[in-house]
Amino acid sequence: MTKVTIRNLTKIYGQAIKAVDSISLEIPSGEFVSLLGPSGCGKTTTLKMLAGFESVTSGSIAFDGDDVVAVPPEGRDIGMVFQNYALFPHMTVRGNLAFGLEMRKVPKAEMQRRIDATLDLVQLGPYADRYPRQLSGGQQQRVAIGRALVIEPRILLLDEPLANLDAKLREEMRVFIRDLQRRVGITTVYVTHDQAEAMTMSDRVVVMFGGKIAQQAPPSDIYDYPVSREVAGFVGQVNFIDGFVASVDGDLACIETPFGPAEVPAKTRGRGSAVTLALRPEAIDIVPDTAGHGIPATVVSSYFSGAILDYTLAMADGTKVDVKTIARTRFEPGAQVRLSVDAHRFWPIEAA
Amino acid sequence: MQTASPGNRPYLLLLPAAILLIVFMAIPYLNILVTSFRNPGQGTPYADGYTLMNYARIFSSPLYQGQLFNTLWIGIVTTFATLVIGLPVAFQLGRADLRWRGLAYGIVLSPLLVGIVIRSYGWTILLGNNGVINRTLINLGLTEYPLPLMYNSLGIIIALVHVFLPFMILPIMSAVQSIDPAVVSAARSLGAGRATVIRRILLPLAMPGIQAGCILVFVLSLSAYVTPAMIGGLRVKTMAVTVVDALLDTFQWPLGAALALMLSAIGAVIVMIFARATRMKWKVG
Repeated sequence: MTKVTIRNLTKIYGQAIKAVDSISLEIPSGEFVSLLGPSGCGKTTTLKMLAGFESVTSGSIAFDGDDVVAVPPEGRDIGMVFQNYALFPHMTVRGNLAFGLEMRKVPKAEMQRRIDATLDLVQLGPYADRYPRQLSGGQQQRVAIGRALVIEPRILLLDEPLANLDAKLREEMRVFIRDLQRRVGITTVYVTHDQAEAMTMSDRVVVMFGGKIAQQAPPSDIYDYPVSREVAGFVGQVNFIDGFVASVDGDLACIETPFGPAEVPAKTRGRGSAVTLALRPEAIDIVPDTAGHGIPATVVSSYFSGAILDYTLAMADGTKVDVKTIARTRFEPGAQVRLSVDAHRFWPIEAA
Repeated sequence: MQTASPGNRPYLLLLPAAILLIVFMAIPYLNILVTSFRNPGQGTPYADGYTLMNYARIFSSPLYQGQLFNTLWIGIVTTFATLVIGLPVAFQLGRADLRWRGLAYGIVLSPLLVGIVIRSYGWTILLGNNGVINRTLINLGLTEYPLPLMYNSLGIIIALVHVFLPFMILPIMSAVQSIDPAVVSAARSLGAGRATVIRRILLPLAMPGIQAGCILVFVLSLSAYVTPAMIGGLRVKTMAVTVVDALLDTFQWPLGAALALMLSAIGAVIVMIFARATRMKWKVG
């Protein structure tokens, strides 16, 4: 069980390319943290610095208070899972698992015991004597996870481990990795550009843009209370609704919007100032025009995608709104409908 | 014309190679085999009738056996020397972060750009008793008499190593290039230092290239003619030189054929044993 403390961590390539720009992050022991962001946001560079594969320009990384910046990867006692698995092709599954234990000079008997236990953990017992190329992608991924865990490392690092798997397997592996991490209780840093992956697996999501941390919070907070347009847009579809402050009452501000009034936590802006609100597509409901209440709108497009219907609608003033609904009644493009909004789902982000 | 397309009959694509092999390898080999059992002739390449005498001559002659053994020895030492010299070079050239890759390729391939006769002649200038190396050593006072560098196996090996080095480096380099750098990172994350990474990860994964390079250089060394003929002169003869002598000078085609077959057979057995010993289970089956 290891606590990771990152302080003002910076990586500069060449003269001035700031891949990671002074980030600070505290990861409590046993927590599952995802670094989420588009490619080039610095998430992988951060992970490589944690692992020791990338040198640190400035700042510090500490495991349980011990600074590890000067320690090479082989001395950091980390378990790392790579995007392409990086199994040793010339060793069997058992050989792959044994490698890290041999480096640690673990006695033979204990080695066998730990390998067998780990094979059970990753459900690969029957495949112990196969070579990597005789395994499927999902099995190879489980070998990679087992190989990282069998050494009982201080922290587990995963670099987009599910990117090469097909959609179905990816969802299974999410649950598998999450369950495993809970059971083992190991401090885990998971790098991904897939927001659904980060959401479903993490205790905390760290969203990164341009080498900086944009927001770090539990998944539901990231989704419901994003701090910026960028974060809101990256963790799912979102409508940006322009409004203005109608009144301020203590901690609450009443915002006038095309959807009617919305109460949101007050920021420092005064009456009359313009505000942009985020509204998730599933917070809007579509009812037939005949219902008589709600805001009139016209269906521009509708797509069926299994569990939900995906609409784009145009409001009277031409503003486009995305709506996702689980209702099975389908409105065709051109249909006149009305929208009703869950007023609690408005969230103010920076003013436009 | 669906049925005639090579996509439907991939084996048709093998036809040119198959024809080439049958016409220029299988048939000549068969011819050599038959010739090796013919009676030696007087003034003709061979006479009527068949005999085991040519093989009996080889098995009873310490001269031929010595030459055969020496040829194999030269092949093995040359292979080992090119491996020792070529392996570090190939590992460096195979690195993913190598700059000037084109230049490095050029340097490795440059020995192949000069004809083998010219290169061997160059070595006679360097290695001779009056050659550059011995003159330098004598002038520096490091030795009183010229070192015997030519007209012996050592000279032949030195020249062959130079000639065949690219054939060792290129396959190993290509094997090293195909190693996923993440595999090295994985080994380090598991606690392996640099030496362990080389011993446990890089060398085994480069083994297909090492195997190919060794077999190539060994086979080429056994069959080399020009270099041993020029460097060895009349004093040290490898089997290839003796075979050519038998065919052209003494006009004993059946004996030459028998000697050539002996060399091929023993070479093939050694290659097979080597391939067996270095077999990579993780590559097959």
